[in-house]
Amino acid sequence: MVENHHLKPATTEERRIYYREEWNVEEIPDFIKNSLDKREFGFDHLGRGPNDRYRVFGSLDLLRKFLRYRTPFAAYSSVAFYEKPRRRDGWIKSELVFDVDAKDIPLRKCNCKGVCEVCLNQAQEIVCSLMDILEGDLGLNDIHVIYSGRGYHLRVLDESVMKMSSEVRGQIVKYIIGAEVPQSEYAGDGMTYKLEHFSLPFGYPQVFTERVKYAILHITESTEIDGVNNKLLKDVIKYCKYINDDEWGLFRGKVGPIRYQRLIKGIASLNMGWVDAKVSIDLKRILRLPSSLHSMVSMKCMEVNNLENFDPFRDAVPRFVYERK
Amino acid sequence: MVSVAFINPLSVEGRQVVREMGNLDSFREENGDIINVVIHTRSQDISDEESIPHNYLDLAVKRLEWYIKKRNDPNFDYNKYSFLFNYKITRFDVISFYLLCQAVGVKFGPNSRESRAMVESQGKLMESRLSEFSRIDREELIKKILDSLLNDERVKWTFFEDILSSHKLKLEDLVMDHGNIILNKEDFIESFSSKIQHRDPDKIYNMMIGDKIKELIMNRMIMQKTEDYIYKVHQKSRREIEPNPILLELAEKVSNVLSESFTSYGYKVGVNGEVKAAPLNSNAFPPCVKLVLEGMKSGGRNDAIILFFTPFVSYARLYPDVFRKNVTVKVSDVDPNLSVVQNEILPLVYGAAEQCTPPLFEDQPQEKVNINAKLGFGMHTTVDLKHEGESIWYTPMSCEKVKLHLPSLCKPDKTCKRIGNPLSYYIRKLWESGETNGDHEGNEE
Repeated sequence: MVENHHLKPATTEERRIYYREEWNVEEIPDFIKNSLDKREFGFDHLGRGPNDRYRVFGSLDLLRKFLRYRTPFAAYSSVAFYEKPRRRDGWIKSELVFDVDAKDIPLRKCNCKGVCEVCLNQAQEIVCSLMDILEGDLGLNDIHVIYSGRGYHLRVLDESVMKMSSEVRGQIVKYIIGAEVPQSEYAGDGMTYKLEHFSLPFGYPQVFTERVKYAILHITESTEIDGVNNKLLKDVIKYCKYINDDEWGLFRGKVGPIRYQRLIKGIASLNMGWVDAKVSIDLKRILRLPSSLHSMVSMKCMEVNNLENFDPFRDAVPRFVYERK
Repeated sequence: MVSVAFINPLSVEGRQVVREMGNLDSFREENGDIINVVIHTRSQDISDEESIPHNYLDLAVKRLEWYIKKRNDPNFDYNKYSFLFNYKITRFDVISFYLLCQAVGVKFGPNSRESRAMVESQGKLMESRLSEFSRIDREELIKKILDSLLNDERVKWTFFEDILSSHKLKLEDLVMDHGNIILNKEDFIESFSSKIQHRDPDKIYNMMIGDKIKELIMNRMIMQKTEDYIYKVHQKSRREIEPNPILLELAEKVSNVLSESFTSYGYKVGVNGEVKAAPLNSNAFPPCVKLVLEGMKSGGRNDAIILFFTPFVSYARLYPDVFRKNVTVKVSDVDPNLSVVQNEILPLVYGAAEQCTPPLFEDQPQEKVNINAKLGFGMHTTVDLKHEGESIWYTPMSCEKVKLHLPSLCKPDKTCKRIGNPLSYYIRKLWESGETNGDHEGNEE
């Protein structure tokens, strides 16, 4: 296990060592290997962004040779499948992707500048809960978790969503992160009933409740939430024990119903930060290639087969980091 | 029993009505049967001859006019349109629905304001008609229609891709379990009753799902099918040489109904409801635009300045009417010598870029080229007419896109609630301050 501060950028020589001595082309996940000729590949050779784009590899061996020889700063492949990937033409379908970047998530428990064990653990918790909703509510299968080097990519290859438009993908993002306050008034038998989200343990209200719970339990006095002033923030912290015990009614009563509405509205807005929605709605995005090196932090981008047992500081550190003096 | 065609003109029953009809030429002739149904409708106002449709074309216009006036006219008189809720009008109503769709499809196409109005009016009409039935009749009708729309008892949410994509339906509106939409009480109890504590699952089902979601799904599916039908007509009409003059005549009337509504009730004021290009008024900017002007932090700078701000200010200044007119233009069509772009728009964009932390061009000077590209002048360092058309002039991002791309910018105020695009906000604010009227003609570029 390495310490966080060892994760400094890789040198050109270290990149060479990684790709020539450690990296194995077979570590690229099957879901990419099996569609190699349909994907666009992109590379960043100088650490200034992926400007070597529109690359196509007819075989795994050609990709292997390219990476071994060029030892790029970063390697990417498209989430899209194309008839003519060299021209990004003839779009067939795209993976549905969720990008949880530990350095950008709201309500980070740490104050680190990049990423650390604490915020990466938080990102892991978020990924777990997103997967629960993708599977439990939306019934999606064929979901792959990739450790990106600074967070996680959730890559969904369920055929039922791969041809979907950006608009539907946007709706999926908003659903799973709880970006809208659910309605609280329901009509039935000629009457109107008021039911808060926390009274409904299923569907979107439950998703939202989970998100609000997570947010409330991670709020600190320095947290900034739209429409929530210091007084309300202090009260939320004071009464958060009720949320911990799932005593929502008591919490709402203590905070006051109007202020509670303001709080959950602010949390709904904050929830937009859990994933980078731009990535999810972009049908032609390129994403870091699993098995490649994240040279900025000297960590491996890799598929995670058992998320609960995955520890990036144990499992995603290249050998050259241990050999650094 | 009421025919399902009264609610869903696109049903088998509705299509059968159309098949039985004669040729289009008889549609402008006075039709005694229509008049008879109208004047014998309970609570129908017959004191004003104008309120009574005399033929199919009149009926079609009234159908749309009902929706526009109901939405916009504070003095809307329900009794002038009572006949629309008399199920005996069904046969004529179905024909008028098809006439409207065809007229809109032939003349305006599927992405026009006329098409939007037609689709929305169908949605509202179904909703209002259903609300007039007893609960039992309503349930029965909805069940019958849904059974014909959904092929299977178990429906996956992915089946509704189209209506989700067009935002007619929100994913949050649906109750799902492992991808299946829960519509029946039995499925609901099976999936969720063990989770529900201290409440009666039956009651919760009735409140959260009951007829409400079924009606919503049915309504949105029919709206989507209406839109699809207009699209089909439009595609077909492009292959045909001469559209039927009756459809063109109706299309003209539809356009007049909408224009009249804009001039009478809407904010899009001017000649024929036009909004003229005029110097920008920063007081009318929506909160998201004001936030960009205050300065963006690293991370959201590029998208905010290039994808969001540049299209917004350029359209707000040069072609505020873009969504109403629905006609694609180039910058030079509205600013022939590019003087407004050079002297007003680019300085404003560069100023906003300078306000960023760090200033955008300080570390990313190449982004100036992207700004030019978003104005339609390709990837070049200068805005030059000879490069115009190498890229497209990006239209302003919708609020929905802003929320996804730049969530930190979305701090909605009261006006935002009724708005789907920051440009519409700007126009509404101008109208509220009395700035979008014919007086601006002198300022038009």
